[in-house]
Amino acid sequence: MLLENVSAGYGATPALRHVGLRVEAGEVVGLVGPNGSGKTTLVRVVSRALRPSAGTVLVAGSDPYRSSAREAARRVAVVPQDLAPAFSFTVLEMVLMGRTPYLSPWGGGGPEDWAHAREAMVATSIQHLGDRPVDELSGGERRRVVLAQALAQDAPVLLLDEPTTHLDVRHVLDLLEIVRGLAARRGVAVLAVLHDLNLAAAASDRLVVLHLGEVVAEGRPEDVVTKGLLRDVYGVDAEVAPDEVSGRPAVRLRMPAEPALPIGRRAHVVGGAGRGAPLIRRLAEAGFEVSAGVLHATDTDALVAERLNLLRVCVPPFSAIDDASAAECRGLMAAADLLVVCDAPYGPGNLGNLRLALEAARSGIRTVLIEQVPIAERDFTGGDATSLWDGLRAIAEVARSYDEVTVDLG
Amino acid sequence: MIASRRYRRVLLALAVGLVVSFLVAVAVGAVWISPWATLRLLAWKLGLGSRPAGVPRSTEVILFQLRLPRVVLAAIVGAALAASGTVFQGLFRNPLADPAIIGVSSGAALGAIAVIVFAGSGVLGAFGVPLAAFVGALLTAFVVYRLARIGPAVHVATLLLAGIAVAAIISSLMSLLMSFSGQQIRDIYAWLLGGLSGQGWNQVGAVGALVAVAIAAAGLTSHELNLMALGEERAAQLGVEIDRLKRRSIAIGALLAACAVSVAGVIGFVGLMTPHLLRMVVGADHRRLLPAVLLGGPTLLILADLLARTVLAPQELPVGVVTALLGGPFFLFLLRREGRGARASA
Repeated sequence: MLLENVSAGYGATPALRHVGLRVEAGEVVGLVGPNGSGKTTLVRVVSRALRPSAGTVLVAGSDPYRSSAREAARRVAVVPQDLAPAFSFTVLEMVLMGRTPYLSPWGGGGPEDWAHAREAMVATSIQHLGDRPVDELSGGERRRVVLAQALAQDAPVLLLDEPTTHLDVRHVLDLLEIVRGLAARRGVAVLAVLHDLNLAAAASDRLVVLHLGEVVAEGRPEDVVTKGLLRDVYGVDAEVAPDEVSGRPAVRLRMPAEPALPIGRRAHVVGGAGRGAPLIRRLAEAGFEVSAGVLHATDTDALVAERLNLLRVCVPPFSAIDDASAAECRGLMAAADLLVVCDAPYGPGNLGNLRLALEAARSGIRTVLIEQVPIAERDFTGGDATSLWDGLRAIAEVARSYDEVTVDLG
Repeated sequence: MIASRRYRRVLLALAVGLVVSFLVAVAVGAVWISPWATLRLLAWKLGLGSRPAGVPRSTEVILFQLRLPRVVLAAIVGAALAASGTVFQGLFRNPLADPAIIGVSSGAALGAIAVIVFAGSGVLGAFGVPLAAFVGALLTAFVVYRLARIGPAVHVATLLLAGIAVAAIISSLMSLLMSFSGQQIRDIYAWLLGGLSGQGWNQVGAVGALVAVAIAAAGLTSHELNLMALGEERAAQLGVEIDRLKRRSIAIGALLAACAVSVAGVIGFVGLMTPHLLRMVVGADHRRLLPAVLLGGPTLLILADLLARTVLAPQELPVGVVTALLGGPFFLFLLRREGRGARASA
């Protein structure tokens, strides 16, 4: 099977560009590449379903687009992902359909066709299922019926289009074993589109990597599957090491690394009544060293700060802020790079927080006010809180939601 | 083809059913003609013996001029509808498809109504209406096919949609014609409801020959229709010239439906039900299904016609009403049962 300089596609942008590919008899070639790289398009081009816009396709020495569907089907057999026939055929009927390119329109198939069908069923271990309707089979059995149908075509070239999708690991290995056996014993040229790189590396003699419609790498699995390829083609970070037993490359994926953490940045949150808790969490996750206060000891914000083991200043419930606590908090605010003042309700008990914040903001610390609820609705001091808030507003940034704050930080 | 012993038994049972219903339908009517007399008269006509003694001349006339052509025509129409349904169900990969779906039946009806309204039902002897129906059916099939064709390919989904759209346009045209019709409205209704009365050997010969040709062609495509069930792309991978197959099966299905509609009007459910039922018995392979529906379809229509002309005798019911009244509920019952079966086995 040979492709030379093939371009093909469905619209203005070709899905395949100048692709060259060769599969020799007896060889298993794995076709890999990310989604949308043109793998399925390539299978369609070879199987006479999509005429290429340029280039040469030769299957067993002849151009499928210059032969009839019948002749082409004698040269190349395709194993699709799965088949769901509209009507309930038996397994034997399904496998015999593979003999279509050899049948006359009125003939039911001779002894030779039966022999090929039986052989294909034995090769795929479904000979005991002959009379069962396909729609009653399990997924793994049905996939073997599809393979047997393709084998019955007795073609020198076999294309597999992601044959292992949705199969459990045992059936995957069985299926690939059958295919490798065919290549070895009968000299079938196999081109298999495989999603799983480890599987492709383990089962193929040679790998071809498609990326954006072009062949970007080709060769023995150990030469092709490398850290660099995974980074450049798939955009993932992975370790590649030879398997201890087979020597084939094995890929170990890593989860994408966290974005670089801001180191040494400190934020102080003025919360209360649970209004600060979401922000405390976010800032801590974003890598800030977070402090909080002054808080009343049983407040949700205080509990969250305690849980996260943050620096915090607390006073007993329902008490006003004493001078010692105020001084301690003033120190934390002064050390912060960012001060966030939440839209908590303000009463005599925590009015001191706003005074401290205004002080800090005036000293030049970057300050953000959260204002989901207007101050008028949460001023329980008869106007003192409002005037302090307006003072803060004049010099601070205002965020309408927690999200805005996080985006600002990003 | 897998011709199991069970399949041969099913075919034999269907054949016996056809012969029995044929003899019963010929026997029953205003005048009783015993099957024995029928068989002896037939043997005599075929040159296998002398004219049976004791059978009155009038019986002979009723048998050969009235009963036989009607029952034979019912058999031919039943076979044509059932085969047409089989082909369309295979082509559309849908067990609920039938000739009505691609607009063939409506096209035929429009042709017939146009002739009745503009020229009267007596034009060209008895042949005007059937001929117009035939032309209407084939024209509709052609138009729908061309509409559904995008570039070189005909997609089944677009074909269905084009069929439904064209059928809707045609039925509004029919309503328009009918609102202009006045006197002929009875003729139109009789035709729309389907019926086999008033047809003679001429129609049997013409339609029979066409139906035979179309059925032979259907037989030759039946293996490829099997592969259609796997989807167009898979069928092509297995060596089917898919566009040729679609062109052929539409032509065959439309021709069969046009033949049936042209002599018998619009008769529903036979084309839908026969293949659906028999698929449950003989399986989905069209090479086995087609012979079975060619025995089952005629039986069904012969019996429906028998009911139509005997239930309210001497008044005659339109046969299309009988097939719909019997077929509709039965079909719904099957659908429900099948649905339960599918859930149980899932």
